[in-house]
Amino acid sequence: MTRPSNTRSAEKDPLRRLVEECFQREAGLSVPIPDENTDLIETGILDSMGWVSFLRAVESASGGGEFGSSLSERSASFAAVLAALRSRGSVVTDVSQYEPAPNASKTVVPAILTGSSAAVGSRIVPSEEVDRAFGMPAGKLRSRAGIESLAYVAESENELTLAAKAAQEALRAAACGAQQLDWIVATSETHHDYPSLSAQLHSRLLVRENCGALDVGGACLGLLNALVFAQSLIGSGQARSVAVVTADVHSRTLTPGRVAGEFGGLFGDGASAFVLRSAAGNDSNEGYRLGEFLFGCAGQYATAIQVSDSKDGGLTVQFDGEALSRAAITRMEKVLASVELRSGIPRGSVGGFATHQPNPRLVALLAKQCGVSPRTFPPIAQVSGNLGSSTCGAALHETLRSASKQARHDRGPIFLASLGPGLLFGGGWLTPHEVRGAV
Amino acid sequence: MTKLLITEITRMGPAFCVIGLQREQEKIQSIRPVPAFTNGWKNFPHQRGDILECALVPFPGAKPHVEDRVSTRGFEKSSTLREAETVAFLRKAEMAQSLPDLFDCPVHENKKGSGLFAMPHEAKRSICGCETQNLRLELCANEFRATLALPSGEALRDLPVVDRDWRDFIEAALSPVRGANRAARLDRFLNSQFHYKIMSCPHHFIRLGLTRPFHDLCWLMLDTLFPLPKAEWLEEF
Repeated sequence: MTRPSNTRSAEKDPLRRLVEECFQREAGLSVPIPDENTDLIETGILDSMGWVSFLRAVESASGGGEFGSSLSERSASFAAVLAALRSRGSVVTDVSQYEPAPNASKTVVPAILTGSSAAVGSRIVPSEEVDRAFGMPAGKLRSRAGIESLAYVAESENELTLAAKAAQEALRAAACGAQQLDWIVATSETHHDYPSLSAQLHSRLLVRENCGALDVGGACLGLLNALVFAQSLIGSGQARSVAVVTADVHSRTLTPGRVAGEFGGLFGDGASAFVLRSAAGNDSNEGYRLGEFLFGCAGQYATAIQVSDSKDGGLTVQFDGEALSRAAITRMEKVLASVELRSGIPRGSVGGFATHQPNPRLVALLAKQCGVSPRTFPPIAQVSGNLGSSTCGAALHETLRSASKQARHDRGPIFLASLGPGLLFGGGWLTPHEVRGAV
Repeated sequence: MTKLLITEITRMGPAFCVIGLQREQEKIQSIRPVPAFTNGWKNFPHQRGDILECALVPFPGAKPHVEDRVSTRGFEKSSTLREAETVAFLRKAEMAQSLPDLFDCPVHENKKGSGLFAMPHEAKRSICGCETQNLRLELCANEFRATLALPSGEALRDLPVVDRDWRDFIEAALSPVRGANRAARLDRFLNSQFHYKIMSCPHHFIRLGLTRPFHDLCWLMLDTLFPLPKAEWLEEF
């Protein structure tokens, strides 16, 4: 009736591994893996809620869309689920299978992250000063949110200057000339002017005139949206080099009197930039290869945070801190679990978690919930505050910087996870990349 | 004697759960008549819209099922309201615009997978009506599920549909006598004509409920969906 998990067949078959892991998450580790043809509902192993929950987890982890009614005339068994996954060609693979198939008629070219950088506002303000500015008791941000200081822009700084600084550093790190860029993909949750941030960066960096420029949204999820777009451009052969840039200046928008300190006081100013290059060229010997991304929207949290312009030119912020915290932890944990399942990379072997950091307390809680060391989350929000779309970017840059100090064979994969109002969510992973034969 | 307008008949395993509306002074509130020794009815020969005369006594049931009343004698039908009239009364009973208002408590996401639940000690009631901005019914394997958007913009996914008439309709649609590709045909119906029929209906209305505590959690479910399905719809797909 049952057999132990992690059998040899599961080790060889990534789909079976994925199904077994989703099952164990639903049923618990103490429940043995059932025989392939066992009906999970008839035998009482799962109830109908658990069965649907299990199927949803498989759908999410396999990236193959919904089962819908395709299973309605089959038993509630592993065999039925595996057959459905195989019949529609699930995208799930093991990381070891990412080498391009030599005989494939249409090969997706991997995107390699070859250079990164981050910049924060040059004014570092102790959180107690921010408490006072917002009319809160001194020490509130530190004790409640774990924020020690915030990075604010100086008079001469803005989204463009921070973004340009980060982009130029990233290009230097990647040994990539600005004229080699085919696209600039920018994201910001605070820059709403025209020309857009990507257009201004285009001029500031003096890239080729026929280099594309695009701004993507998503607020704190913006970096992941930008990365997946850049990956698609490279994967389809439409670009060889893409700069992905984030920049957020909250200190001019979320000001005392405009928003409550419990919300506005959390945010700092920063930027990040990444250079992605095609693995098809000989442009990079080392870097990190972008794996897959997963995205979605958990609409039940739509009202946890809502920001809109009001008629008088002010800003209306609806912010349910408790609900948002609960949502952030639950969702990020789920995203990381899905990334773990889809990538086949155990979370314990991950070198760093470049995630959104709403505040340091939640980061610590997330690490605890995920059962990983909090040291694997770079302390961005603790010293600079929540940087919006640049939080995940700054965390990724910091993780890459730490990895670069390690011997190549010691570098671990990186998991990405972020959230945006809606509640948008996304995740992905990167693995160390090295061209065979390179020194 | 109490006059009860039957608004919900849901299927819970082999039994039925029944909810009705009772007018008390100027307030219209939901009441769940239950047999003396169980939570569900093995046989309930009445329909939604029926007005039944019955004898009910308060029942110290576990939270959040504060609507429970023990029925001490049989039901006697006095009259019947049309669907639109029934919904008009439902709109005067418990209503919510947003997720936390549904049961006057936080609603939690299942960390392991799909579904939403409330904590029994937090929820103040177990049934509530609401308007929807959009609604989708689907089959997930053999299970009938609903996804809907509340007026607040919040989306609720994978709610089990326990409405007796809708479940009977789905079973009839999937009956082997209906020939080949019936699941796929039903899918197409749910995604096309169904949507039009439901969303354009002036008395489109839903009620959401909480299951009785199961492993200390009360799961959200779609108790009632108006309009109720019509047998002739089966001829359309």
